[in-house]
Amino acid sequence: MPPPSKPLGDEFLKGLWKENPIFIQVLGMCPALAVTNSVVNALAMGLATCFVLVCSSFFVSSLRRFIPRPVRISTYIVIIATFVTLTDLVLAALVPDVHRALGAFIPLIVVNCLILGRQEAFASKNPVPRAVADAAGMGVGFAFALTCLGAIREILGAGTFLGVPLFGPHFEPWVIMLLPPGGFLSLGFLLLFFNALKQARDRRRAAAARGETA
Amino acid sequence: MSRQTPDLVLSTPPFLRQGQTTPWIMRQVLGALVPVLVMAWVHFGLSALLVTAAATAGCLATEWLFDPRRPRGRSLRDLSAVVTGCLLGLVLPPGFPLWMAFLGGGAAIGMGKVLWGGLGQNPFNPALLGRAFLQAAFPAAITTWSPQGTGLFSLHGTNLALPFLQGTPVDAMSAATPLARMKFQSQVTDLFPLAVGDVGGSLGETCGVVILLAGLYLAARRIFDWRIPVSILASTAVLSAVFHLIDGARFPPPLFMVFSGGLLLGAVFMATDPVSSPITPRGSWIFGAGVGGLVVLIRLFGGMPEGVMYAILLMNAATPLINRATQPRIYGT
Amino acid sequence: MGDLIWIFVAAMLVNNFTLAYFLGLCPFLGVSGRLDTALRLGLANIFVMVITSSCAWLLNTFVLPHAPYLRLIAFIIVVASTVQFVEMVIRKMSPALFRALGIFLPLITTNCAILGLALFQTNRGYDFLEGLVFALGAGGGLTLALVVMAGLREETRVLDIPKVVQGMALYMILAGILSMAFMGFAGLFSSGGS
Repeated sequence: MPPPSKPLGDEFLKGLWKENPIFIQVLGMCPALAVTNSVVNALAMGLATCFVLVCSSFFVSSLRRFIPRPVRISTYIVIIATFVTLTDLVLAALVPDVHRALGAFIPLIVVNCLILGRQEAFASKNPVPRAVADAAGMGVGFAFALTCLGAIREILGAGTFLGVPLFGPHFEPWVIMLLPPGGFLSLGFLLLFFNALKQARDRRRAAAARGETA
Repeated sequence: MSRQTPDLVLSTPPFLRQGQTTPWIMRQVLGALVPVLVMAWVHFGLSALLVTAAATAGCLATEWLFDPRRPRGRSLRDLSAVVTGCLLGLVLPPGFPLWMAFLGGGAAIGMGKVLWGGLGQNPFNPALLGRAFLQAAFPAAITTWSPQGTGLFSLHGTNLALPFLQGTPVDAMSAATPLARMKFQSQVTDLFPLAVGDVGGSLGETCGVVILLAGLYLAARRIFDWRIPVSILASTAVLSAVFHLIDGARFPPPLFMVFSGGLLLGAVFMATDPVSSPITPRGSWIFGAGVGGLVVLIRLFGGMPEGVMYAILLMNAATPLINRATQPRIYGT
Repeated sequence: MGDLIWIFVAAMLVNNFTLAYFLGLCPFLGVSGRLDTALRLGLANIFVMVITSSCAWLLNTFVLPHAPYLRLIAFIIVVASTVQFVEMVIRKMSPALFRALGIFLPLITTNCAILGLALFQTNRGYDFLEGLVFALGAGGGLTLALVVMAGLREETRVLDIPKVVQGMALYMILAGILSMAFMGFAGLFSSGGS
């Protein structure tokens, strides 16, 4: 990771990896697992969520001095729901196939804990540029994680990437990867893999520290 | 217990779960599996041995690679991975590609055992987890039943499919299992072929008599809790008898239900896994009745012809709840 | 009648909200550490789902035909405020019930399972009775998944599970295994019902 040259860029970058919504914070699981059975669906869902997140953060941050505290959550939800409805209609008009494949999971972006969480934890307390940078980072990180999951599941589950066959006609697809258990298991084993990486790094660091003191 | 390194292990009760599994028990189970395996060989030829060997190899390799205990490979000595591999092999169809069987062994040990910290800690039966994974991953391959009686050295072309590729079906003949015939054509198979295993099906599940004898041997040596298989078979028989009496044309007779499919093999070898089944006697009865009930539900009303595997896995999942509900009350609480 | 049974079984077992549709995962992963909490959360969920289903039916029948683009916002606001209202009523009428379920109610209202229920019910065009049965089945399935998960998680506490696996990775794989086991219910009663 490059050194934090300016704080705004830092706000953006943290969502990509260090605080990645899916891999690190494990938020917004419903869409992450439900629609990642192909790369296209995952990418569409990721971009839609990113769009809603950035727009909502922009609005919440600009209105943060005017939103009364007791009704803030309801206000956030109304703002989010507005953009989700907008996204829903736009997707239905532009890419009807993807819209049909995602089905009820586009309206369900409203209750994605990631979006509401960013409003409550960040956008409502920070100025607009910072809030938008944070939202964009989180959104891109979310889309990136979804695409990763979608790629794993599509490559193993159908032998294709973005619909292009990879392994020739005799490939035996692992159907489970397209089914619900495949979603849970892919993410579970990815998290396991990251845990193992982290553990190995910690062990190396500990060994290095011991080496220095000795 | 396999933990021979004298590490100090601090843990909370119950300590009883340790010490339930020893190489001796595993050898007894393996011994009981030998006649089942021989019958599979007689019925399905060399394929039976190869598929079982591939599944076992998958189990051993995964355990050797991923088991956290050191020195590497020590945990293999208790033979439990071999038992898991053989059990998994015996619930696969004869023409199953060997690479898939190997992968299934990996899934069985990986998800069923290593993840939970090794032997004696798994909430689910590893062999059945491997089977469930394969069923979901390769639904077509795992329901392609090759015919039997083709000689001791016969080999199915699909066995030798290259890794990640489909098997090209050389022997296109298929033999529907008695349960599939029941489900899709409403045909009941006679009892005699079911009992001696003269039907299509997974490798080790067809010969009912041998499995029953193996079960009696294990029960006599007190390897497992006899209540579990008895309650599974009894509840399946009673429930299916009730349905058979209600509508004899639609629902098969109870003996057919008991002897067909994987019920005997599952009841004797899978459901009795001491780690993933309840610890109290009353819990064992509930567990067995639950498995029997689910088997009847899935077979008679579900979309699939066979449900033993799912029934046992679901009851494995419910085992902590059963343990808790049947736990003897401490006086005064 | 057959249809109603099928809707119930399908929502509870075949297409379990949590294990097949990934709805309500936050409580499923977050609040399944203790068995009694999980059970109460599940019951509270059934309760809110029944309210949601009734509200959604009322909205779909009388209000939304005139303004379909307001569907999402209307669902959320109406459900949230109804639940808030019911919560106040319960607090006055039955403090015991409130202590058992009440604390969960505000948490649940912005749960994807609740909104998902309303959306699925709308997409499938259920009438009032079908909606109620659907809500009971979905809530029952959620409770079942929560309770089984909580039982397994309480069990895992006495195991020495490798440190790499502990935490979210384990829960996710556990959910995958449960989801795999629930595949056994595929097609249940489908020949008898619709």
